[in-house]
Amino acid sequence: MSPGVIRAYILKEFRELLRSRLILIVYILPTMIIILFGYGIRMEVTDARTLIIDNDNSTISRDLSARFEHSRYFDTRVTSGMGEQEALKRIKQAKVDILVIIPDSFEKRLLHGEKTEIGVFIDGAFPVRATTMQNYVKGVIYDAARSLTDKKPTNLITVNSRNLFNQAMRDEDAIVPGLIGLILLVAPAILSALLIVKEKEEGTIFNFYSSPIKKSEFIVAKLVPPLILHTVNIFILFLWATWLFEVPFRGSFLLYWAASQIYIAISLGVGLLVSIITRTQIVAIVLTIIITIIPGFLYSGMLMPISSMSGESKIEAHIYPVMYFNHIIYDTFLIGQGLDSPKNRLYLTILFFYALFLILLGSRLMKKELS
Amino acid sequence: MIGTFFALVAKELIGFFRSWGLVAIVLYSFTLDIYITGAGIEMQAKNIAVGYVDETGGGMSGKILSRLHMPEFQKPVMFTSREALSRSIYNREIMVGLIFESDFEKKLERYGRSSIEMLLDSIAATQSFQALQYLQNILLDYADIGIPVELKIHKLFNPNATTSQFMAMAEMLSVITLLGVILTAAVFVREKENGTWDIMLLMPIDPKLIILAKSFSQVLVIMGGVVIATGIVLFGVFDVPLNGSIAAFFLLSFFYAFTSAGIGLFVAAVSKSMLQVAQLSILIMMPLIFLSGAWTPIHAMHPLLQKLSLISPLRYYIEGSESIFFRGTDFADLWSYFAGVIILGSVLYFYGFRKIGRLF
Repeated sequence: MSPGVIRAYILKEFRELLRSRLILIVYILPTMIIILFGYGIRMEVTDARTLIIDNDNSTISRDLSARFEHSRYFDTRVTSGMGEQEALKRIKQAKVDILVIIPDSFEKRLLHGEKTEIGVFIDGAFPVRATTMQNYVKGVIYDAARSLTDKKPTNLITVNSRNLFNQAMRDEDAIVPGLIGLILLVAPAILSALLIVKEKEEGTIFNFYSSPIKKSEFIVAKLVPPLILHTVNIFILFLWATWLFEVPFRGSFLLYWAASQIYIAISLGVGLLVSIITRTQIVAIVLTIIITIIPGFLYSGMLMPISSMSGESKIEAHIYPVMYFNHIIYDTFLIGQGLDSPKNRLYLTILFFYALFLILLGSRLMKKELS
Repeated sequence: MIGTFFALVAKELIGFFRSWGLVAIVLYSFTLDIYITGAGIEMQAKNIAVGYVDETGGGMSGKILSRLHMPEFQKPVMFTSREALSRSIYNREIMVGLIFESDFEKKLERYGRSSIEMLLDSIAATQSFQALQYLQNILLDYADIGIPVELKIHKLFNPNATTSQFMAMAEMLSVITLLGVILTAAVFVREKENGTWDIMLLMPIDPKLIILAKSFSQVLVIMGGVVIATGIVLFGVFDVPLNGSIAAFFLLSFFYAFTSAGIGLFVAAVSKSMLQVAQLSILIMMPLIFLSGAWTPIHAMHPLLQKLSLISPLRYYIEGSESIFFRGTDFADLWSYFAGVIILGSVLYFYGFRKIGRLF
């Protein structure tokens, strides 16, 4: 390999990146993804639109409604005398999320110790929210019931929960570190695939086929610019996470940097492989997105912890590089064990060999001739 | 005139089917991609890994542990010390750690109340919260509160709260958006790149007809995909309920496909190469998808984002489709979704139409 040739080729790549304004996408896209997803994904349910039909209008039923009104989880309206059909129609029109119906003579029956029931209807079109809302409603009503009775409860077991790593259960802490992993997998892969496929589509690849430049020099020249450009993103994304989303950072920055750098190399390897099997830029982009985004989400631990997986999804999670990187990322942000943990050391090593394998495989498969 | 129109549509369709790469991607997106998303993304807490340390010597703790089972929990793993349990949680192999302290059972017998220490890996906040709720519900079963209130909770439209049905539908709508824009932009920009677009505009055929035919052909491709995806994946694989009218859904999809074709026209007008098409489409699409309420209900968003979401056609499309499939809303009550899609769609389409039709 001759350094002079590589330098010249890299300069050419940078000039083209600037000229085609591709450089904008390198920096706008990651920032946009982290801001949109970071603000956009809200699993926590607040202000669920609740309609209480209080047909009893007694002290107890008013006390129950007040409990809903004072909770930040519900955005409550109380009426009386509305028919059940009419109220259910409101849910169908997506104007109400939760409907609570307190029957008449609720208080009277309760004081006499007779059985009575509260009807609750929840819009289940968005399943996770429905389950969460159901638990909220249960909590409020059982709480009210418990405070009402002067009988000493028997067999009451409570849970003293200590929330580790994400004490306030913030969505930002859960999602933003995972997003960094997603971006660093998708963006460098697209760029490196494009840089090569662009030449194929425009026909300038023949310069490479016919000139004395070596295959290794060509690959280095094509992969170094995305590597340099996206290294800056490691720091930009870190700043967004800690400054804008206020995600705590408890681990070692050096580990975060090193792991991210290796992860970018893996992503470049993916891009290289894509560029070998595709001929047009549009197919290259779509293919890269398909093979990176879905595993990037599924095995990130953002939505579902790896420990909850079973069967084939557990095996698949171990095949893709996503799980290894995200384990380290979440550790550096929220847990902070760093390299003291043997698992982190193992995962870092796996990532390193993963990157090496992909890039070597890509270099072997690429041909310096018309295929 | 009509003949020319259909000849042009046929030309584009033939062109589409000739590029096998594109056909493969469209087919993949409308089938496997939706399947993987629906089957893979599970947001409900399931199969939670539990570990415990039992210092009591059995009895009540054993009873509670036997209540932790599939599908919510994995079989609880025993640890001999708190350190070992906490190490496992720090390595993220266990999500919920329960500690029964030695006086747990004594307290329960003597005072009628007792407590379990719980270590919870709360990184995946929603799932952790649900795990906590599951456990509290189980414990509540043992307690006798002494109040005769029965709580009848009905989850409407999707009683088992299956995430897969919702995720599959949302993913299909995202695919329609993405492909609608990219495919439409691609048919124009490819001609631009080959230098044939200017010639097309100079031909004796009305350029308006060409533009209409070209975008219509891509709308047809998308609609074909929608039929495949709803028939095979949504109904066939995931058993998505259909509480409303399927005709209403296809009609809404048709208008929406034109809307995204309109965005595609605009993208095609301002880009010179496929590369720019890809960049621009991604830049336009991401906010569109995130302002649509697919991931977060609109009314839970930041107030400013709520206002902005009003101009996302996908918002109306998603809410409309949700209402058709799950809520079973009457056709008459769907008018606001149709209005949203059609109004935004015509504005976008005519803007793109004017822009691409200009020579040079």
